[in-house]
Amino acid sequence: MVRFKNRYVLCEVVSEDPRCRQCIEDRAVGLAVREAIARAHGDYGLACCSVSFTVKYLNAYTGTVLLRCRKDFYRLLCSALPFVRQLESRNQRYPCFFNTLHVGGTIRTCQKFLIQYNRRQLLTLLQNCTNEEERRSIRQSVLSCSLTEEQSQSGDEEDDDDTETD
Amino acid sequence: MAGFADLNLPAGPDKKGLQSLLEAAARLGYSAVALNHVIDFKEKKQEIVKPASPSELFPSLPIVQGTSKRIKVLNRLTLIVSDPSHCNLLRSTSANIRLYDIIAVFPKTEKLFHIACTTLDVDLVCINVTEKLPFYFRRPPVNVAIDRGIYFELLYTPAIKDSTMRRYTISNAISLMQICKGKNIVMSSAAERPLELRGPYDVANLGLLFGMSESEAKAAVSTNCRATLLHGETRKSACGVVYTVKKPRKVEEEETTLPACKKAKTQA
Repeated sequence: MVRFKNRYVLCEVVSEDPRCRQCIEDRAVGLAVREAIARAHGDYGLACCSVSFTVKYLNAYTGTVLLRCRKDFYRLLCSALPFVRQLESRNQRYPCFFNTLHVGGTIRTCQKFLIQYNRRQLLTLLQNCTNEEERRSIRQSVLSCSLTEEQSQSGDEEDDDDTETD
Repeated sequence: MAGFADLNLPAGPDKKGLQSLLEAAARLGYSAVALNHVIDFKEKKQEIVKPASPSELFPSLPIVQGTSKRIKVLNRLTLIVSDPSHCNLLRSTSANIRLYDIIAVFPKTEKLFHIACTTLDVDLVCINVTEKLPFYFRRPPVNVAIDRGIYFELLYTPAIKDSTMRRYTISNAISLMQICKGKNIVMSSAAERPLELRGPYDVANLGLLFGMSESEAKAAVSTNCRATLLHGETRKSACGVVYTVKKPRKVEEEETTLPACKKAKTQA
């Protein structure tokens, strides 16, 4: 009743240019998303969505981004995400687009989804493997990714507290 | 659950571009894709070319992410009609038309829209998104089209590219929604480059912008697309289509329950 409810949107940044990966940082992504919201929904949309808007988690190697916004306005954010066309940072622009993977109410549900998704990606990579070395390392990663209570083991997620005291 | 499908990928002469588009679509999760051949009658008279079969064009089709099946590639023909005489092409039994899986028509005037919805033998009616519609939709032809199983197609790539197009797209889409109440809508891209494609979840979110409810928007990308494909198959075979899906039976079930015919014999 007194808690502020948020929605966490998990997306993946897809780009053709491999150098775009270096450009994925929280300020650049936040700016790109805000600009897309402003173009799609105007000043009202931008103001609504930026009430509790942050980039909670970034993974530059896989291009995974976790955004947070208020539950009342998450539709504005979700419907503006397809309009993101480029990422800009340090005077470099890279054309890219955002692929929404999952919308969850807490960081933990998004984390669970991301672990399953990454496991599936690893399995796909396993099929395209050429080297026996690579195969072994991928098999090991697939076996070791799981969500544990004290500390996450998949290597790239951090267990975060989801209740906010505002 | 029906897989996601994108029914409009412009089929250009560039094979490598098409291959990269297919790979991007498979990566995003689309299980079926239709290559669109556009015929415009305003230019010089064009013949309907035989579509190249997908196995010739692409030696190896990419696997859809999330499943283990390969992406399905279909052929689609779009006729841009601005004159009633152009529709005669559809009535003629040209052998090449039968080779296309989906036939779409793009009417430019109100009369042609009425004809397309009521009498023409097509699967999709394209709605113009790049300029203000010269005519208003009326309820009778739209209702007839819904009864016949014809779907209306909306493109979303112009909305991503340009701001003015976005306004026209949204206003045309909303006026269509008010008449048809969100039924029988298919959303597709007309992406020429892989960067213009969007995943099915994102396209469903765009449907929310156009005035659809969440379930209608999700259906616009999945079930309605599959219904269009089945309608196309019905048109080709001239009867009806029953789509069966094999359900895998577990081994324990077979041991404990006998099939119905055997049961009757033992009881008698």
